[in-house]
Amino acid sequence: MIYLDYAATTPLDPAVFEAMLPYLKPDGMHGNPASDHAAGKRARQAVEMARHQVAALIGAQAGEIVWTSGATESDNLAIKGALEFYAGRGQHVVTSMTEHKAVLDTCRYLETRGARVTYLKPGADGRVAPEQVLEALTPATVLVSLMWVNNETGVIQDIAALAPRLRERGVLLHVDAAQAAGRVAIDLREVPVDLLSLSSHKVYGPKGMGALFVRKKPRARLAPQLHGGGHEQGMRSGTLPTHQIVGMGAAFRIAGERLAEEGAALGRLRERLWARIRELPQVFLNGEGAPRVPGILNVSFGGVEGESLRASLPDLAGSSGSACSSATGESSYVLRALGRDDDLANASLRFSLGRFTTEAEVDQAAEQVVTQVRRLRALAPA
Amino acid sequence: MNPFGYPDEVWRLFTEAPRAGLLEGPGTRTGSAATPANRSRLQLSARVAGARVEDAKFQAYGCPTAIAVGAWLAERAIGRSLDELAAIGAAEIRQALEIPEERLHCALLGEDAIKSLCRSAPGRDG
Repeated sequence: MIYLDYAATTPLDPAVFEAMLPYLKPDGMHGNPASDHAAGKRARQAVEMARHQVAALIGAQAGEIVWTSGATESDNLAIKGALEFYAGRGQHVVTSMTEHKAVLDTCRYLETRGARVTYLKPGADGRVAPEQVLEALTPATVLVSLMWVNNETGVIQDIAALAPRLRERGVLLHVDAAQAAGRVAIDLREVPVDLLSLSSHKVYGPKGMGALFVRKKPRARLAPQLHGGGHEQGMRSGTLPTHQIVGMGAAFRIAGERLAEEGAALGRLRERLWARIRELPQVFLNGEGAPRVPGILNVSFGGVEGESLRASLPDLAGSSGSACSSATGESSYVLRALGRDDDLANASLRFSLGRFTTEAEVDQAAEQVVTQVRRLRALAPA
Repeated sequence: MNPFGYPDEVWRLFTEAPRAGLLEGPGTRTGSAATPANRSRLQLSARVAGARVEDAKFQAYGCPTAIAVGAWLAERAIGRSLDELAAIGAAEIRQALEIPEERLHCALLGEDAIKSLCRSAPGRDG
């Protein structure tokens, strides 16, 4: 099995695993971080250390990090929490058609509660121009929510250009950075994002763990969506999972240390994969022309049917363009929004490479893909 | 390895695709069918000698089940008369390949293609 699905989730880094272990053992590191006794204090110290580690990767202060169960919860808290807190300002959100479902479904839900949402269509390269966002603003706009890096195409949005322009206009900016953290340099001292969602398991940390950056200056305010104890400055109640938090902290520390070197290595592997695949006629790179993170390659294959393409590659753990297509038969809404027709969107593969991907794996994957695409095309009637 | 849970026979026929190809020339017949919006296409070709099919091939574009239906029909056709082939219906295809309800359209595609083959005129010399 060749694992090229790092954008779906990453394996735990062995060093992260080691860092977490002491907090899973019943020998004194198990205290509740909210408790005042020594065991609680030890756990609290670990939690605060991790908070610094996560903050450091994105140029934030530790006090701006709110622990959550993952990027989905962070997106929910950011969008629902902001709309609820700033209800007096209005009930309009601007987002894009290619956001993650955690954002889109949250927006759809808010529409059922009376909010108005504008879904911007990106260009064919997957980028949303800052001007598009500014044109969509109304006096009732409370929040703009845009992802930093698209999970299907790897396309990087120009958040640095957009953020100051929203700040000037007093509109909050939420950024889903689940795919960006550890893959692109993020410095929130320079980029005035107000709310930013993070995931642990996309960065070689444990699943079930995430964080929301909530800016202190100027302060972004949120209505909590989970009540029960007032943890996390009142924004997210619930006993903190020390071992998970320690894991996320360790993962983010390692990601920071390796960001540049890993990006360069992944870029080389990705180009190696693409160079082989593009030898086939009728293959289309999704997000072509836009800046993309180095680890993701999304390709549409003409002349083959999507389900057969995926079924032909049982030893390759990649992903179709759409996370949901195998379950629902729908083609990727992201690729459709980029202008791919239904057949091409359906006959797409996302290869996402990561820390443990080898040159040999990339070569094997490319060989399998090329062989199977040729086989399926040869099977088809003229 | 069939990690996607296709019926065993569908998986075998999809991965091995026996009898893939196109027969042309004297005495050959071709039949084809497509699902709405051309999402799946199936073409059968057969060489008929006397009253029986001597050789048969298929070409298909579509999901693994559609491809398996084409391969199954090509295998099935050999040694049979056109009358026997014309009697093959979607229900028989479905049963032979254990095709689930939601893939019924693939069996119908097969039925349409085999009937089209049986109706077709034989190819001429040259």
